[in-house]
Amino acid sequence: MRKLPYLAKEGIKNLWHNRTMTLASIFVLVACLLLTGLAVLFSMNISNAMQDLEGNNQVTVYLKDEVSPQESEQIGKKIEAIENVASIEFVDKDRALENMLNRLGDDGTLFEGLTEEENFLPDSYKVSFRDLSLYDQTVKEISAIDGVESYTDYSEVAEKLTRLDHLVSVAGVWIVIVLGIVSLFIIANTIRVTMFSRRQEISIMKSVGATNGFIRIPFVIEGICIGVIAGIIASAVLYFSYSAIMDSISGVVPFIRLIPLEEILLKAVIAFIASGIVFGTIGGSISITRYLKREGGSIIIG
Amino acid sequence: MLVSMKNICKDYALGKNSSVPVLRNVSLSVEEGDFLAIMGPSGSGKTTLMNLIGCLDTPTSGEYTLDGENVTKLSENRLSEIRNRNIGFVFQHFYLLPRLTAIENVCLPMVYAGVPKKERLERAKEALRTVGLEDRMNFRPSQLSGGQSQRVAIARAISMKPKLVLADEPTGALDSASGAQVMELFRKLNEAGTTVLVITHEQAVADCMNKTYHILDGQIRETEGNP
Repeated sequence: MRKLPYLAKEGIKNLWHNRTMTLASIFVLVACLLLTGLAVLFSMNISNAMQDLEGNNQVTVYLKDEVSPQESEQIGKKIEAIENVASIEFVDKDRALENMLNRLGDDGTLFEGLTEEENFLPDSYKVSFRDLSLYDQTVKEISAIDGVESYTDYSEVAEKLTRLDHLVSVAGVWIVIVLGIVSLFIIANTIRVTMFSRRQEISIMKSVGATNGFIRIPFVIEGICIGVIAGIIASAVLYFSYSAIMDSISGVVPFIRLIPLEEILLKAVIAFIASGIVFGTIGGSISITRYLKREGGSIIIG
Repeated sequence: MLVSMKNICKDYALGKNSSVPVLRNVSLSVEEGDFLAIMGPSGSGKTTLMNLIGCLDTPTSGEYTLDGENVTKLSENRLSEIRNRNIGFVFQHFYLLPRLTAIENVCLPMVYAGVPKKERLERAKEALRTVGLEDRMNFRPSQLSGGQSQRVAIARAISMKPKLVLADEPTGALDSASGAQVMELFRKLNEAGTTVLVITHEQAVADCMNKTYHILDGQIRETEGNP
């Protein structure tokens, strides 16, 4: 098709000739991409932090006093074999005493005289779970193991954390959906304004025999270019601002481990540019089609 | 017969259930080689009629045959092709694309027709020579006077060598000297065989033509031959 290079060139020239509208469209698209992108990143980070938090919370499983070292090793293996158990750590009674003395500091003087024989603390396992929402079931399985005396009841915290995690992910999805719809509206309106400012040009093109396809191609190419440029700008903004934002967040809540930039950068750049192109193309072709059907169908010049 | 319209009606929808009739039972025939004016006051439906003749719009009812082809029920793309090959438009306000030079504006219809670049530049130069503006071909519309802009628009209209040139108030935005020049160009085109149809509300313009149709309240009222 001989006309395609000409029409593509027209599209690129139009970007410059209508530079005010081009800039406006780019900025709107950048703002929408960043808004949506930051919402995604925010909820990713929160759920990441939640997972860390869940992992840090360990259940202490106390073993019966009469259990021999060999038996306690067996028990450890059994606990580890449970599917929802992420890791276990054995704490023998001597270490437990040491830990307690350390924790109590000066108040611990009372127990200082205790010898190994008199140590009343049991051996125990510190157990981390993979998924806190399965807390009840897992704890039941552990307590069914022979030789397990008791465990620290942690069900309330587990339930709260699970609920919070769920809330955060549901809220995150909704925020992204709402922002996505808002972005589409803004982009569609921006394109409609562009179209309106160029209706005379479209009418002229139609009057000298341009088919709707000829009119559409430059607009679609413009849309793609705007999408790519907006994607690149959004990626650059993300690159320079992410570490700063993350630094300031971890300054306020230092115990949260944030997803490092390198882990998300490539994905974010691809997502930004791809959604920029998709938004630009779909926005461009939908609104020109609607325009051509509704107003361009009957050109009223003069 | 180049243009043959039978009982053409055109309504414009106002809302969902109401519409305004703009043209009522218009019948019109234009022979090949005609040089005619359609006259009427503003609001009489002149421009609507021109949009219909020029295939920029389709009638609500009635039958329209252009150069032997029934164009009432053609697809959008076929209508574009007909506009491109058979009809040249000249508008009151020229409607040149401001960002293109004179010669690029003249080339535009040929781009859509798929004429190779070298050929279209040659043909555009020839068209500009016809209207006496070969020396202004690299000027942009903003650097041209009204009369010059209208002559570029005429060059664009004839670049595809159409059978019919349709002009809507072609002298309406021009001083009388430029207006006379434009009308003279139309006469030359007509003498070379092109059918020219001018829509106007100026008697002086209509007087230049061979034939005049009057349109009033959406109906063609009378036909008269000019001396």
